[in-house]
Amino acid sequence: MAGSELEILKGITLEIKSGESVAIIGASGSGKSTLLGLLAGLDEATAGSVTINDTDLGALDEDGRALFRGQHVGFVFQSFQLLPALTALENVMLPLELQGQSKAQEQAEHYLQRVGLSARTGHYPLQLSGGEQQRVALARAFASKPSILFADEPTGNLDKTTGDHIIDLLFELNREEGTTLVLVTHDHSLADRCQRRLRLDGGALVQE
Amino acid sequence: MSITATKMLARDWRGGELGVLVMALVLAVGVVSGISAFTSRLQNALEQESHRFLAADVVVSSSRELPAQWIEKSDVDGLQHALTLQFPSMVYVGEDTMSLASVKAVSEAYPLRGALTYSTEPFGAVVSADAGPRQGEVWLDSRLFALLDVTIGDTVTVGEATFVVAAAARTEPDQGSSFYGYGPRVLMHYADIPATGVVQPGSRVEYRHLYAGASASIADFTQWLEPQLQDGQRVITVEEGQPGISNALDRAESFLLLAGSLAVVLAGVAVALAARRFSERHHNYVAIIKSLGATSGTINRLYGSSLLLLGLMATVIGCLLGWGIQALFFYLFADQMPVQPGPSGVRPYAIGAVTSLTCLLCFAWPPLRRLGQSSPLRVLRRDLPLEGRRAIQDYALGLLAITLLMWWYSADWKLTLAVLAGLALTAGLGFCLALTLLRGGRLVGMSAGSIWRLALAGLQRRGTANALQVVIFAMAIMMLLMLLLVRTSLIDEWQAQLPDDAPNHFMINIGPEDVQPIEQALRLENITSEPFFPMIRGRIMSVQGADLPITDDVEEGRRQREINFTWSDTLPADNKLLAGQWWEPGTEEALVSLEEEFAERMGIEVGDTVGFLVGSQVLETRVASIRQLDWQSMRPNFFLVFPPRLLAAYPATFMTSFHLDATEKSFLNRFVRNFPTVTVIEMDVVVEQIRTIINQVSAAINLVLIVILAAGGLVLVAGVQASVDARVHESAILRALGAQRRLILGGLLIEFATMGMFAGLLATVAAELSVFILQTTVMEMDYTPTPWIWPLGIVAGTVIIGALGVFSCRRVVSAPPVEVLREL
Repeated sequence: MAGSELEILKGITLEIKSGESVAIIGASGSGKSTLLGLLAGLDEATAGSVTINDTDLGALDEDGRALFRGQHVGFVFQSFQLLPALTALENVMLPLELQGQSKAQEQAEHYLQRVGLSARTGHYPLQLSGGEQQRVALARAFASKPSILFADEPTGNLDKTTGDHIIDLLFELNREEGTTLVLVTHDHSLADRCQRRLRLDGGALVQE
Repeated sequence: MSITATKMLARDWRGGELGVLVMALVLAVGVVSGISAFTSRLQNALEQESHRFLAADVVVSSSRELPAQWIEKSDVDGLQHALTLQFPSMVYVGEDTMSLASVKAVSEAYPLRGALTYSTEPFGAVVSADAGPRQGEVWLDSRLFALLDVTIGDTVTVGEATFVVAAAARTEPDQGSSFYGYGPRVLMHYADIPATGVVQPGSRVEYRHLYAGASASIADFTQWLEPQLQDGQRVITVEEGQPGISNALDRAESFLLLAGSLAVVLAGVAVALAARRFSERHHNYVAIIKSLGATSGTINRLYGSSLLLLGLMATVIGCLLGWGIQALFFYLFADQMPVQPGPSGVRPYAIGAVTSLTCLLCFAWPPLRRLGQSSPLRVLRRDLPLEGRRAIQDYALGLLAITLLMWWYSADWKLTLAVLAGLALTAGLGFCLALTLLRGGRLVGMSAGSIWRLALAGLQRRGTANALQVVIFAMAIMMLLMLLLVRTSLIDEWQAQLPDDAPNHFMINIGPEDVQPIEQALRLENITSEPFFPMIRGRIMSVQGADLPITDDVEEGRRQREINFTWSDTLPADNKLLAGQWWEPGTEEALVSLEEEFAERMGIEVGDTVGFLVGSQVLETRVASIRQLDWQSMRPNFFLVFPPRLLAAYPATFMTSFHLDATEKSFLNRFVRNFPTVTVIEMDVVVEQIRTIINQVSAAINLVLIVILAAGGLVLVAGVQASVDARVHESAILRALGAQRRLILGGLLIEFATMGMFAGLLATVAAELSVFILQTTVMEMDYTPTPWIWPLGIVAGTVIIGALGVFSCRRVVSAPPVEVLREL
């Protein structure tokens, strides 16, 4: 990667089919987040290419990748990444508004209801529990109907019970929407629920 | 997106840095527009005031009757007009009692500006008159009542006409300072002139046409008039106004402009600091929004529109504040204003808006603009460095903006450069010093207790950031000290100039034989007077052997003219020797000492020979020295001073000045009865007026100082806030590790107080330098060192920064560490 001649990912070749669910596991510092950043078009690779739905992300500039992310990519993060200034509803509406969708509010309300939060749409993130915040994040991720969803340690900040609920909800929505899922975790039981498991070890990919 | 922008704005308000940003903008706009509106209204009022001294907007004077078609033209132009005629004449009561008087005949419209005053008994309570004396009536100077032994209702004769004494004439707006002229005043109606039969061709008279109206019409009229002037006809305009007050006001204006400029700098710094903190806190938000598909254009529009909205809000509130500041001032002092100040117009508020826009573009926008370039990868990796957040071009842009704003605002390069020099000194010296001292602190701290170790380690770890912070604190404190210093010396000087017992009456035409009895009379009444100065009238004839031109229709300039001299063995009090030497007492040499401006006008230097005509004798003298006078002192002042021996042979009268309280005015009645030949000139109204104006301006200066203090406080708050996040985060970790409240707060207090102390020290040094430059170049005052600001600057810096720092970080000990760590 950039700067100090440090090679984080080495010779990774990976193909994920539409509708497939893939888990990427590995220890801390194995390069999971870097790989996720590249796959999702959040980062630029110094060498190699990433292609989603026939679009070469390397050929786009940051603004081009941003538009691409808005149309095709959804995210669920370990630390939820909700905007504290916006209510639950506004957080879910945000990606829809960015795409200029006219029925943003209806759609956002639908997905919030789907994750069981229709009673809390007007709450701000700080007024919600961790599990509730992650459900808002799920609703936001699916509301824009992405073709591929990236989840980065989605249960990392939650207790076991809450985390299990979130994962159930994630897979349920994934099945309903037919989304491709790329899940980064170090939790093997979570990884087991995916169709395919890949392990990163010292920057190299090992098929399990 | 606009809904999201306003929403975000509303919620971000809680973060604090938006509050500082808006407050800083509001203060900048408020102070700038307030000061601007204040000075323009005050100037407007003073211009009206100066028109008052003419009794009109423009005056034409001549020793011969002025053309009547000028009056007709002024009517066509929609101007008001009035006529006056002044001439010396004897006033009689019966056959034997008489006195020489200066008669002034005025038409009904007189005065067009200002007011004529009278009293119903000599030296009695002063009343404003709607018009001058009616036909057949006269008003007499108070002392004429004693001289002629008349009372109200008696009759007096001027020339061939007899008049009823209707009142005591007290003041005319245009009586001016030409009190050496004739005798006491007699006012009569203009239409009574023919009846007196006194005015004949060749009489020594002065005709005046007075005109007043809208300033544009007056300007047009004057332009039309000037080419038609013939020899001996002269236009007098307001520019020949009152030098005494205008000097004080010029300095006050310099001060206010300085204050305004400093407000802009302070507000600019506060805006920049707040915007930077806002931007740093928003990099994470932007990363989220970008990960959801927002382009950099969308981000720029989002933050740009937020900023514009904020700017608009702040500008409106700021203009209201500015309007409020000056309105409050004029409301508080309405009773004391000599004239009602006119409206300021929209210009001050336009200036405020431009200031706001410049602050937004040059201080707030650069850090926010970089948000657009923020990497979306921060959603995965929060520890990504914020690239180029302290770009050098931001500082350059800020400096340029500050310089241009200050210059535009003060229209004074010297003032701008003096402030910039102070700022540069603070920045340069301060950064090096702070860095060195903060590093040195580490060594001392090693052996100290744990609170100190913690605090000093903190100072050292963020060495560069802290040095920058110290510099910002120092700049704010420096500007406040600077303003405080200039304000104090200005007000002190004014008060020294016009103490409560400043002379407010002049006494002239004192015969040598009356000097001692008058001194005694004054002593008996416990009235302290200035020394008695001998006064001789003579004519300046030649310089370096060459005769000066003889022209009587120019007031100023190089020409032969009548002038009053005095003699003295010692340099008069308040006079300052600028060149040459004062003579040995008792010298018999033919020497003379000249006043600075007089010498300049006549083109005379030390060593030149100057010829005078005194009586019928020509005196050739050598210029021994040039003096500077204090014209505002209300003491007798003379252009020319000779050694006593030189003039001892000539007959002289004496003059002096003294202070008389309003309650002691009746003394004058008795006095003029005992000394009928002496002329007393009452200046108490004028002195009181000057004092009132100076008090008002002092109050304005204090008011402005308070507002600027608030702006300085904001910079300190913004500066402290800039580092609060990192400090709170570290303290939360320490708390989590079990550190006591006392240890954390103590550490923070030491950290901030140490920075405050350095900042205070630096600020004091830089303030002394800037004030020195300002006072000696811009304000034209004498520089006096001010040791008291040293402890003030250092203690204030330590206490205020220490307290603000601990206050801003207080949450770290009140909220659970987990909550604090999660939020950041």
